[in-house]
Amino acid sequence: MHEISGARAVIETLRQEHVKFVFGMPGGANLPIYDALLDSDIRHILARHEQSAAHMADAFGRVSGRAGVCMGTSGPGATNLVTGIATAYADSSPVVAITGQVPKAMTGRNAFQETDVIGVMTPITKYSIQPLSATEIPSGIKRAFYIATSGRPGPVLVDIPKDVQQEVRDIPFPESVEVKGYTPYVEVDPLAVERAAEMLVKAEKPLIMGGGGIRISNAYEPFQAVSELLMAPVITTLQGKGSFPEGHPLCLGPIGMHGRAESNKLVSECDLLMAVGVRFSDRSTGTFSEFCKQAKIIHIDADPSEFNKNKQVDLYIRGDANQVLTKVYKALVRRISRRSDSNPWLARIAQVREEMKSIPAYTDYDSELSGPKIVRKMREVLPPQTILTTGVGRHQMWCEIHWRVLKPRTWITSTGLGTMGFGLPAAIGAKVAKPEVPVVDFDGDGSFMMTDNSLGTAVDEKIPIVSIIINDRSLGMVEQWQRLMYNRRFSGVKFGKSCDFVKLAEAYGAFAKRVTTLEEFGKALKEGISLDSPAVIDVPVSSEEDVFPFMPPGKSIKETVVGPPKEMAIF
Amino acid sequence: MALKILSVLVENKPGTLFRVTHMIRLMRLNIEGLTCGVTNGGDRSRITMTVNGDDATLDFLAKQLSKVIDVYEAQTYSPEEVTARELALVKLNLSSVSHLDDKRLQGARIVETSDRSITVEVIGTPSEIDRFIHRFDSSHILELARTGTTAVPKG
Ligand SMILES: Cc1ncc(C[n+]2csc(CCOP(=O)(O)OP(=O)(O)O)c2C)c(N)n1
Ligand SMILES: [Mg+2]
Repeated sequence: MHEISGARAVIETLRQEHVKFVFGMPGGANLPIYDALLDSDIRHILARHEQSAAHMADAFGRVSGRAGVCMGTSGPGATNLVTGIATAYADSSPVVAITGQVPKAMTGRNAFQETDVIGVMTPITKYSIQPLSATEIPSGIKRAFYIATSGRPGPVLVDIPKDVQQEVRDIPFPESVEVKGYTPYVEVDPLAVERAAEMLVKAEKPLIMGGGGIRISNAYEPFQAVSELLMAPVITTLQGKGSFPEGHPLCLGPIGMHGRAESNKLVSECDLLMAVGVRFSDRSTGTFSEFCKQAKIIHIDADPSEFNKNKQVDLYIRGDANQVLTKVYKALVRRISRRSDSNPWLARIAQVREEMKSIPAYTDYDSELSGPKIVRKMREVLPPQTILTTGVGRHQMWCEIHWRVLKPRTWITSTGLGTMGFGLPAAIGAKVAKPEVPVVDFDGDGSFMMTDNSLGTAVDEKIPIVSIIINDRSLGMVEQWQRLMYNRRFSGVKFGKSCDFVKLAEAYGAFAKRVTTLEEFGKALKEGISLDSPAVIDVPVSSEEDVFPFMPPGKSIKETVVGPPKEMAIF
Repeated sequence: MALKILSVLVENKPGTLFRVTHMIRLMRLNIEGLTCGVTNGGDRSRITMTVNGDDATLDFLAKQLSKVIDVYEAQTYSPEEVTARELALVKLNLSSVSHLDDKRLQGARIVETSDRSITVEVIGTPSEIDRFIHRFDSSHILELARTGTTAVPKG
């Protein structure tokens, strides 16, 4: 053994955790770590704002399933991370955030750039760790990785005082670590599995619901197998969009505030709902008591605190979705063989689908560059394995309704927190995780402007992503609410002339194009994904076009509105 | 709303109480009493809190607390379900107590006396302590410290 500094121990532990990339920004309190970084083969990706670094790490985590790492200095560096960490927490994404802290002796003295970052972040992290000696660094960081990625994942903060980074010691590197009081995995209750199988077999109108948990546990295969065996149609949450291939005949698509009309309708007609890796968020269900109240509900989740939290269920099974579904599948196979594809429930599904085809939300848009048309054009142009990230707003909802996710881990969006500014840095993080596939950020002008300086990162670090900006010169989603619920009193939603996104992108050295027709859009997009530099496509659109279906806030899912006010129809 | 006992077994280390009380603040509950002491040879602590809340909120809270890393288990009880005790130290103005076997001191143990005051220790259920305190005119109580309830489930 030889003596090394705490900072070197940080880097060595990251290496042992197979970290190849970190996203961040240096400062006074993490200089020793940045110095040690130089002597490693870990690639540092310099963010322009720590929020973006956290989004990059978050998306890296969602795409790869491994923890993304972001770093910031103490004080403002750490507080800038907050929005990104809260976003990762809300969507259960594995992130390890490493912050510098003022030296131990300065603690509590309002030292320069001192913030009690553990105090600030405790409510928005799965855990936080503060090594107080260099010898605690490897075990601390290992625990951070273990906690961030196990059970229901989430961000973990490691806050390291500068003197601890500088301390030179004989530092032990444990092979494995133990976290007392933490049991992320449990044996799946075999009786519950049998009961679930019984209920599923008996159901005449089964529906299956997939959430973010399917992605987290890589449960795609057993999830699809159970659905196909039972011929049970699948709905998803917005986070779970793509947990089942959206081109599949059994896939109905997302439910929720801007879910697919057929999903929102049929969820009130099933007699059994099996929900996997979901948390029954209000944005998915509408009024909890009205949601799916005619049906029996089975809830499968890794986090036992989710059971009966928002929705009372008839049976719950704690466990990793992949494991539980595999067992449920086996229990089903012992009872039935693949169901036929003709039965009254599937006939009813087909009928609703047919009826819904002509709702205004799916048909009624005249302008050349209308949200739904752009999204569908994009699907024609982009290969199936393309990763799509989004901002937050109407553009995101058009994707929820019209974009088809065909491959696992290709839909990366902020749902729990709904963080504007997520799209571009998330695209960068996703591309770093999976450089071999095209990565496209489908963004709103408002969202894009929140983190558009990440273009600097993309250009300098040669990370070729494409940003499509649905440029309605408005905070369109808010404008829509003001139009529909505040009698068209538009307050604080309209942008002026700024900004010219083509000039902005060019200033950063990115490829840029403004398009005015669908055809031009398709061409620009094709060109964009073929480049080895970042690209920005500015798509000016009307701000008057609202997104439907729409389940107004505080209403039940049965009150979903399927078209604009003139023909505001409730089904 | 009713008084409930929240019993949380945690890892004995810095920051754990903060993680626990932050969840209680989130649910907008007031902590009426709180005790925390080391158990199991020093690795763990038991935090016992008395809070006013409805069953649903308390159940929710217990589930959320169980999820906190460093928390081994979190349970809620109604007062009937536990054996509960509290300790109080009451410093009385000596002139208010006629003599040391004043009837009102029954059940208390004298732990300190001076020429001005007498300090007694009372142990009992929270309501027994309430009753003891009410035996005295508040102007005669110079200082009062209560530990808050600690409890173990019955049976
Ligand atoms: C950081 C942040 N601030 C405010 C909001 C509230 N909000 C939700 S959608 C939205 C408008 C988004 O505008 P834009 O990105 O242009 O998308 P559009 O709705 O126009 O497609 C706003 C302000 C938010 N979700 N996130
Ligand atoms: Mg906009």
